[in-house]
Amino acid sequence: MRALRQRPLGFLFPIGTDDWLAILRPGLGLQVIFYSLSLRNDWNYLLSGTGRELAEALLSLESHFVPRLGWLVALGTHTGLRVETVLSIVWACLLAAGCCLLVGLACRLSAILAWLLHLCAAKTGGFVSYGVDNFMTIGLFYLMLSPLPDRYSLDWRLRELRPKDPHLLGFWRRVLQLHLCIIYFFSGLTKCLGSGWWDGSNIWRSLIRPPFNVIDPKILVQGKLIFPIAGIVICLLETGYPFFIWNNKTRGVWLICICGMHILIGLAMGMWLFSLVMIVLNVAAFGPELIRFDRHRISLRPQTAVS
Amino acid sequence: MKTGWVFCQNYVYAAWLILHLLLIVWVSCLGTLQAVAQGPTILPSSFRKFAKKTEGAASIALGRQLPGSNPLRETLATYLHVAGIETGYSYFAPNVPGTYKLVFELHYPDGRVEYELPSVSSEAAGLRIVGLLDNIGRTRYDTVREILVKTVAQSIWQEHPDVKTMRAILGSLSLPTVSDFEAGRRESYEFLYAYDFTVQNEPAKAKDR
Repeated sequence: MRALRQRPLGFLFPIGTDDWLAILRPGLGLQVIFYSLSLRNDWNYLLSGTGRELAEALLSLESHFVPRLGWLVALGTHTGLRVETVLSIVWACLLAAGCCLLVGLACRLSAILAWLLHLCAAKTGGFVSYGVDNFMTIGLFYLMLSPLPDRYSLDWRLRELRPKDPHLLGFWRRVLQLHLCIIYFFSGLTKCLGSGWWDGSNIWRSLIRPPFNVIDPKILVQGKLIFPIAGIVICLLETGYPFFIWNNKTRGVWLICICGMHILIGLAMGMWLFSLVMIVLNVAAFGPELIRFDRHRISLRPQTAVS
Repeated sequence: MKTGWVFCQNYVYAAWLILHLLLIVWVSCLGTLQAVAQGPTILPSSFRKFAKKTEGAASIALGRQLPGSNPLRETLATYLHVAGIETGYSYFAPNVPGTYKLVFELHYPDGRVEYELPSVSSEAAGLRIVGLLDNIGRTRYDTVREILVKTVAQSIWQEHPDVKTMRAILGSLSLPTVSDFEAGRRESYEFLYAYDFTVQNEPAKAKDR
């Protein structure tokens, strides 16, 4: 009976290393930096004016407590700052948080700041947000709750901060792994319900739909025989993810195929920001065993059990 | 003593995870049901009715039928948003939808007419503009559509301050199939709505299709 109770706990709290955090933290740092830089010229345009007010009003219909830029704008204007100035400060802080995450400086604070500011921007820009914002929120949410810092961060080297419990490292990695399994399963399942993924027409439509029409349709049409195969492969890869990613024998192949799919999405559809966040989440969750880490430098202190 | 604390802590974490995963699965199921309800899918058409009914019932668990000020509803909604799990994962599924196009017809005082599309300076921002156009095209609420079109119109106006009147024309783009494309047919544009703006920034009239 006790063994039965211990087994699920053993699955949820495996003794883990910080290898995965050493991928997730700089990966999401890079993602936040690219996100900020890619929107630097359009930040104020996308997040100000009537569009912002309308998005925040609609958000308030769901909940008044979801963080939004309106709060920071109200705070800023109260102290005499213009809306544009507040938005620029938010942008600069987000970029700075991304840079700190990349090098691992003040990891926890940077992760919280990045999560909060990105969330505010994503919710305020509800009409202009898409999948990448969801996945960034998910990644930053788990990162901020994880036992930071990891051994490659500056915090580890300079301030000698150490996470205490290796079981918690394992737990938060498990959370990310399980969440990814649900994401891919439902994404694949819903695709399987559309006939267009079986006959390949959805691949064609995705690639010619503006603004994803990076490749000339005249070139695409030459490879029309590949579309049905690609459609079926995508359905199988996504739906099969939770079944094949856990097995040591199939994990490597599945992870490489999924990452390959995201690279192709980035190249063929111009969604490189979306591709990057998906690759970071996947490699952090299931990749560490496939990447060689320097094991000699791990110096985690397991929490001693004293009765 | 410490062992007991660690076990207790683990149970709290495990309970949170179960609740968290349940919410993710629930929201994802809702997303899938919504996709089936909106169709078309490979499932028989009778499933559409079933999906619509089930979707309504399933959303009750997330408190979406409760009044807006209900604390349970607000707490759940806040948690879903801050964790990034408020929507399902049916991207480009079950089928890839068509897209929308918003064209601005700029009328100058000297009678000149120019055409302008909403523009941004980077490709990443361009993807977001497409999301905005999809929202404009798909919303069921005329007021929301009008406000969003007006927001884009204002930015166009800032770039062209000499313009006297402006007409915003929203249309849907139908994508050709592979065989259509090979036969020389290209994407087709279907008119949906038009909005006239005067220099006072007031939409004069919204013309439906």
